[in-house]
Amino acid sequence: MGITIRQADIYDIQAIQNANLHNLPENYLTKYYMYHALSWPQGSFVATTFDEIEEWDDEISLDTVTVKDPKGDTAYIKKGEKIVGYVLAKMEDDPEAEDKTPHGHITSLSVMRTYRRLGLAGKLMRHSLYALCESFGGQYVSLHVRKSNRAALHLYRDTLKFEVTTIEKSYYQDGEDAYAMQKKLILDELKPHLFENAEVVDDFSQDLLDDL
Amino acid sequence: DANLKKNSSHAASLTLKGCINYYIGNKPEAESYIVKGLTKGENNYIVNHLAGIYYRAVENYTDAAKWLKAAIDNGSPNKQILRDLSNLQVHIRDYKSLVSSRQGYLEFQPGYRANWTGTAIALHLNKNYKGAISTLTKIESIIKEHLQDQDMYEQSECLLYKNDIIFQSGDVQKALETLEDDKPFIKDMLSFLEYKAKYLMVLGRTQESSIVYRQLIQRNPDNIEYYKQLEICLNIFEKPLSSRIKLYENLNKFYPKADPPKYLPMMFIPSSHPAFKEKAQNYILGQLKKGVPASFVNIKPILKNPKKLKIIEEIVASFFENALSNYDPTIKVWGLYFLSQLSLYQKDLATATKYIDTALEHSPTLVELYILKARILKHYKKYEAAAQIMDEGRQLDLQDRFVNSKATKYYLRANEIDKAVDLISLFTKLDKDAVNGCKDLHTMQANWFITESAEAYKRLYHQYEEELASIEKTPENEEIIGSLHDKIETYKGLALKRYTAVVKIFDIFFNDQFDFHFYCLRRGTPRDYIKTLQWEDTIHSTPIYVRVIKGLSEIYLEIYKEQQQKKAVEGEDDGTTVIKKNNKKNKKAKAQSLKKKESLIAKVESEKDDADPLGTKLLSDLVNNAHGNIIDNLLKLSQPLLNEAKDYQFNWELSFKLNLIKSKYVLSLQAIKNLNSILSLRGRITSKIPQIEQLVTELGEAVSKDESVNEAIKKVVKMGLSASLSDYKEAYEPYLN
Repeated sequence: MGITIRQADIYDIQAIQNANLHNLPENYLTKYYMYHALSWPQGSFVATTFDEIEEWDDEISLDTVTVKDPKGDTAYIKKGEKIVGYVLAKMEDDPEAEDKTPHGHITSLSVMRTYRRLGLAGKLMRHSLYALCESFGGQYVSLHVRKSNRAALHLYRDTLKFEVTTIEKSYYQDGEDAYAMQKKLILDELKPHLFENAEVVDDFSQDLLDDL
Repeated sequence: DANLKKNSSHAASLTLKGCINYYIGNKPEAESYIVKGLTKGENNYIVNHLAGIYYRAVENYTDAAKWLKAAIDNGSPNKQILRDLSNLQVHIRDYKSLVSSRQGYLEFQPGYRANWTGTAIALHLNKNYKGAISTLTKIESIIKEHLQDQDMYEQSECLLYKNDIIFQSGDVQKALETLEDDKPFIKDMLSFLEYKAKYLMVLGRTQESSIVYRQLIQRNPDNIEYYKQLEICLNIFEKPLSSRIKLYENLNKFYPKADPPKYLPMMFIPSSHPAFKEKAQNYILGQLKKGVPASFVNIKPILKNPKKLKIIEEIVASFFENALSNYDPTIKVWGLYFLSQLSLYQKDLATATKYIDTALEHSPTLVELYILKARILKHYKKYEAAAQIMDEGRQLDLQDRFVNSKATKYYLRANEIDKAVDLISLFTKLDKDAVNGCKDLHTMQANWFITESAEAYKRLYHQYEEELASIEKTPENEEIIGSLHDKIETYKGLALKRYTAVVKIFDIFFNDQFDFHFYCLRRGTPRDYIKTLQWEDTIHSTPIYVRVIKGLSEIYLEIYKEQQQKKAVEGEDDGTTVIKKNNKKNKKAKAQSLKKKESLIAKVESEKDDADPLGTKLLSDLVNNAHGNIIDNLLKLSQPLLNEAKDYQFNWELSFKLNLIKSKYVLSLQAIKNLNSILSLRGRITSKIPQIEQLVTELGEAVSKDESVNEAIKKVVKMGLSASLSDYKEAYEPYLN
């Protein structure tokens, strides 16, 4: 199925909650997802797959088309669209927080195991960081990661250039320590297309239907 | 109380006492005081206000709104009531009354932007675009000079909200101009660009629009929507296929890591064109070489075209046979994994098994292979074996909750509920005094798990029912029969309990919006707030909810059938059953079963101190029609689906069935019509559909057999059939002539 990455909205939260429950031990009520969607609507993103045929390919005969109700699967938002990954982000809103500079926080990020190695987590994060900086003036973003989660650590430290600020002892309910990590946000350096490593950049002047 | 002693019918004191009773936990008595108070002082605004507070607390929002409104109408000087009232009115979707409450509150406190936004929302919800726009414009000009840094996000959101309303009102040109004027204040540039691109397109300025869509693609080259819009702007469908191919080749140069420029051409290039093979080859082999587990799933939509499937099969097979020695051996495994899935997709289970077994032999530590092997076994209907394989995979990566969830699900499919719960409990929070994570999963709204559990319980009691049916009803078998009856009761109750838990969670989802009616005005997120209202109005179309109602309806209809059979039998004998109970033996057995029950309850309890942990009462209430006729209950339960999930066949099939039982033939006819529209792809398929033929026959037969139905109804049904289902004439004519 083709994969799309887009901003998350309220219609996605049930399936985000489902992905979270499938992938991670830290879970939240729907209302908390609503709180994210209605406080920082620009901050969260989803990766979805679609499997509907939109163009009626004339090589497919109508007789072979069987009409079926959507799968009653909790990953589906609606017929043919399924959430396989998400990043849930917010701005720090704790009035007790020491640091008053506006900054973002990644509440949760996960990609279904069967959709890994496509770089989805990195892409989701980049969109979120860009939005937190652009829409909310976030100057840096913070997150926590389990000490034992090597894959996540690799993503944040090596791919996304986060830095470990402290180790928080017994941060998780089961007693595991967390790395607290941060990354400074500079809008011009965060533009998602910069990470395409393309030889040519679209300057919007050429006709796309010709040879460039 | 002192006041009531002096005057036992002092209305305000009565209602106050009701409220106090409620808040000190004396809930059952509370309402009677409220009702008494209201009968004595219906026009007293203090009484009204207290009643409103009470009904709000018990989540009876309709009555709460009614009494708060009465408090205002009866002259309460307390203007804060308007705020509470407006929250209730929007909650119950009484948009008409909302406007005056919001306006009233704005007049009372015009110093807060939130109150202006609230009024604009109320007007907007009533499609009074002009009023909404002018309200928003007014506060903009008032507040302009006073904006602080921390207000700028709200400012941006409110400007975009106003802009969207201008667009909705139909004045696209004005929307575009305003958008450009407001640009310096807009922080959400994604929305800015999306609005702009859309407006330009609607205005027919497709060349300019295409540039904005290119900017959007540059912001997010992985969003397929922008590519679709770009194609429309470029009028690509009127141009030769080569242009369309060129377009994506160029886009791929800009965005080599993005999926859509590679993916979409495989969809639109016909199988006969040489470019198809080239694109498919690059896409699939590229992913295989990287060891992408989803490489097969990704191309599944393309396989709907049988010719393309053939080509893809050749690509991968020849890659596997010829080129393989040049690559890392793990690529071989991913190749086998792909081919196995392809065989599974074509329902060739034997070949699928062959491939996956070879892969497993080669690489026994790769979790993904176990997941696939388990899936294949599931297709063989070997559910226990499938669960075991999935569990083996799980043990290879104990930290990964995903594969734990999969193993849990497979144990549930194998009806091994205890095992499933024990597994999933490795990742849940353990509540105090709980033996497993069952309660936590309910608290955390794990709908997938609850639904799968319900279905497992249902399969179990069906299994026992079959067993029971096959046993001879002799005195020697008495004990077995008794224990089977017990099991059926228990698991049926639990199935109902689990399904109902999901229904309750959706009630929570609906009420979750309550706090946001006020929060969003203050926070300044009106656009997403409006979307939330629309979302809440269709939450019952969520696929999992429909699945739950489907499961529940099957149990309800089974019980209904049993009721009908019992009625028929009772007409003949006195209803005493064959089994006479041996008292002494029974007592011992009872004590034993009580003990067993206690340990069962500990394992399955879904909330703390649940009065009905096994769903026993739930079941007996249904069987005894304790809350009215079971069919009426089911109609009520499925009603939201008819309004919110119109595209589901299931809803109309159920509606047909229930209305036929209730002899509501016109509604049954309506259900067939809706179903026919879905099944014929809204008229694209013109051949006769067997299911429709069947239902039309059933309807015709039922109407003709029913002697109590009046002629007028018969006529309406017949006219309806011949007007919109005349293709099925042969099915209904024999009955309706």
